Amino acid sequence: MTTRLLMYLAIIILGGLIGANIKLKENFIKRLGSLQTACLLFLLFVMGIKIGMDDKVINSFLSIGLNATVISIFTIGFSIIFTFIVNKLFFGGKQ
Amino acid sequence: MTFRIIIAVILGIISGYFVLPKDILNYADYIIDLGLILLLFFVGIDIGLNKSVFSRIKAKGIKILLVPIAIIAGSILGSAIAGVILKLPFNEAGAIGAGLGWYSLSSILIASYSSELSALAFISNVIRELIAIMIIPIIANKIGFIEAIAPAGATAMDTSLPIISKSTDSEITLIAFITGAICTFAVPILVPFILNL
Repeated sequence: MTTRLLMYLAIIILGGLIGANIKLKENFIKRLGSLQTACLLFLLFVMGIKIGMDDKVINSFLSIGLNATVISIFTIGFSIIFTFIVNKLFFGGKQ
Repeated sequence: MTFRIIIAVILGIISGYFVLPKDILNYADYIIDLGLILLLFFVGIDIGLNKSVFSRIKAKGIKILLVPIAIIAGSILGSAIAGVILKLPFNEAGAIGAGLGWYSLSSILIASYSSELSALAFISNVIRELIAIMIIPIIANKIGFIEAIAPAGATAMDTSLPIISKSTDSEITLIAFITGAICTFAVPILVPFILNL
């Protein structure tokens, strides 16, 4: 877990150093956005494949999916509400 | 963006379930890791191009820690309330919420307690990540950038980070990474703790 965190951090820092210090071609910076989108959609597609191939996930999805969804919605809902309050009180609201 | 995200995930699930041969699964983790590394590298470049980010983060200071605290508190309270509706005891429902979207670890942590609850924690946290992926762009647009970190929980450090980066700005992306890292460390402590209450 810690190794993963350090690896991610190292990669982001490496990217950051390149972004900050090396003069990147205007063209590349412009393309960065669509490159990210393409990468992201592909990543999500593969994540979907992983879920779809896991029979255990698909089967339990059908039996306990509704209860699980109720829990997820409340979990996400209250995290957003609490973060909203923190944003309002300490960060001056909408960004 | 949300629409394209939903399509990508659904296409993946459908082709994984119906079309593709099972042995692809051996490569899926490598591909995900590789894709993630590439994306995080791009996220880093984005942050590096915005040099003012660090001074702005510094100005916010220790207050940034309130973001993961709010997400953790909201997640546990939210799942506990869902537990009241679903007639689950507080410790069981709360432990699922304390998984913060990290489905593999939270289900492992709960497995010795009950395999039924472990499955529920797994699916619920998978769904949390799926919902997060889909609504982060909408939350960023309609409610606020800081709030867009909330659905991601522990995944704000990895799988959700590229989406947060695309939907918000470099400053929030950095706060999201810090938040995700703190949530990631909190999961293995909080899940057993709440389960034993």
